[in-house]
Amino acid sequence: MSAALKSQLEDLLKARRLQRDAPPLRGERRLSPLSSGLRALDELMGGGWPRGQVSEAHGLASSGRTGLALAGVSALTRKGALAAWVDPLDRFSPASASDAGVDLARLLWLRGPRPGGLSRALAATDVLLGSSLFDLVVLDLAGVPRADLGRLPHTTWHRLQRTVGPLPVVLLLLTDAHLAHGPGGVSLALSPGGGHWIGQGPGRLLTGLASQAQWSRRVQALRFDLQAFS
Amino acid sequence: MFGCLWCITAGASSVPPIDLLLEVAHELTPRAQAVPPRAVLLDLAGLGRSWPQPMELAEALAAAARRRGLTPQVALSWSRTAALMLARERAGPTVIPAGQEAAAVAPLPLAALDLAPERLELFRRWGLRTLGDLAALPPEGLAARLGTEGPRLARLARGEDDRPLVATPAAESFACSLELDWPVDGLEPLAFLLARVLEPLCATLVARCRRAAALTLDLLLVDARHHRRTLRPAAPAAEARTWRTLLLLDLEAHPPGDAIQAITVSAEPTLARVVQFSLLDPAQPSPERLAEAMARLHEWTDGGRSGAALLVDTHRPGAFVVSTFAPGPFRPAAGALKEGEDAPRLALRAYRPPLPARVTVAAGVPAAVSASGLYGPITHCAGPWRASGDWWDAAWSREEWDVAVQGRGLFRLYRDRLSGAWFLDGELD
Repeated sequence: MSAALKSQLEDLLKARRLQRDAPPLRGERRLSPLSSGLRALDELMGGGWPRGQVSEAHGLASSGRTGLALAGVSALTRKGALAAWVDPLDRFSPASASDAGVDLARLLWLRGPRPGGLSRALAATDVLLGSSLFDLVVLDLAGVPRADLGRLPHTTWHRLQRTVGPLPVVLLLLTDAHLAHGPGGVSLALSPGGGHWIGQGPGRLLTGLASQAQWSRRVQALRFDLQAFS
Repeated sequence: MFGCLWCITAGASSVPPIDLLLEVAHELTPRAQAVPPRAVLLDLAGLGRSWPQPMELAEALAAAARRRGLTPQVALSWSRTAALMLARERAGPTVIPAGQEAAAVAPLPLAALDLAPERLELFRRWGLRTLGDLAALPPEGLAARLGTEGPRLARLARGEDDRPLVATPAAESFACSLELDWPVDGLEPLAFLLARVLEPLCATLVARCRRAAALTLDLLLVDARHHRRTLRPAAPAAEARTWRTLLLLDLEAHPPGDAIQAITVSAEPTLARVVQFSLLDPAQPSPERLAEAMARLHEWTDGGRSGAALLVDTHRPGAFVVSTFAPGPFRPAAGALKEGEDAPRLALRAYRPPLPARVTVAAGVPAAVSASGLYGPITHCAGPWRASGDWWDAAWSREEWDVAVQGRGLFRLYRDRLSGAWFLDGELD
């Protein structure tokens, strides 16, 4: 009996299932996907955002892109890992991030605008990816005019994918419309479903936002809600 | 054998005499103890091979001190106490043979023991004038009257040591210089030269279990100007490659402006950092790698605009400051979301500065909004949520609304109650 139990424990240890969210061993290549912070979405994506890939979450205003990205950052920083947010338009709200559970001390925020515009933001993203310090780098391009994105060299995204490919890092693009993703990355299309309101007249409350996430590789879409407060 | 160097005058030097005496002592032996303010005790064991005669050694010590502008008095004895007292009280080199320490110090006045004034007064009333008088007293009587201090004073009066020599470590200096045969222009050749300077410097630091908390690079330019840069990363380091990268990145941002004739690098030493890794927590970032990454992002982080955001404890919505990004050891936050609470939160995409807006109000609620890049009727709204503060300083008072603009999304509007103006605070996403 004890030998069987010992063998079972050893099998669990080898499969690293004794602790569900055990941090990887030193030097171990982290091949497990990065949790998005939303269990249902992780299941849709096959575990989460794939490491070593460029992924994107694109959608119109109020489709939940930022809330979803913050959920991923929150899940990561609460476990002690580091994340970076490249913000060329300076839209990031630390208060919202803190409400989402992000450990702000473990999130590097690069605020724009900087002379040189998008090209400096992309160069900074390259530095962040190459430093191997961060598990998630969010490049927030939502609100950037389409014309400015169109002026970027067409090799930009190939180059970033080549940079991130050998690394256990997720590069997540937040955009208004589909822009780019790596061959193994996820392109999540988010559609706004409107706000949830309760009450009438003065004292009426916005309790949340409905959103629908669709991944082209999956037939089914996922409906989820973003809460305005806990 | 032991020696004592006592400094009478220090000449015109601005360096404290004790430091100069230590320099003299360390030329001969590493075992030297500073006795502030003007004396140094030396352990002369082993020096007999170079100076067979003690008097020659005493004169060599005196000559070394005089070369530094000091006016010394030197005494050599087989007891440190005797050497110290004799160096202070007698001019000229003094050498006391073994076994004659008590006789040598006996004529010295009681003041040679550095006694407290009341003790000195007591001994004077007892009729004691010299160390020999004190040494001649019976130890039992001294102990009965003065306690344990009595016999100790009697031993000192006989020139006996009551404690071992505790060597004062030499002042550490970590600097390395390189003079170039011909001037160098550009960062690429400088990179090779920096490696030649940094590698021995870092090796010295590591050999002494030190790290560099800061590094100062002093470049002597061809026009005789000095281009100085001091780097102080978040964590001390002693890797030459890391420091070379940091220096080169800094020089890219702050170029010297002319060709370089000489390079001097000096380090501010600190004790090596002790790190205790945890088996359960995720691996923490290497401070050297973090410093290198932050240096590469200097154009974002200079001026404090980028880094780690810190919420300010105030009622003003969205108040924050940006601090240096330096994640410390991981500590699970007490107020963090619990497992199972995985619904994402609605986030604000802030407009900085808030966009002025024209809002049409009907029946006390916003009915339409027009701002830069956004216009349309408001289909739903929630509010007003009023907040105000800082009445003692720069007062603010606002009335917030969460609105849905037809076909455009959810936004946060607010009205400045002090000026009556409307602003678009951000988009809810």
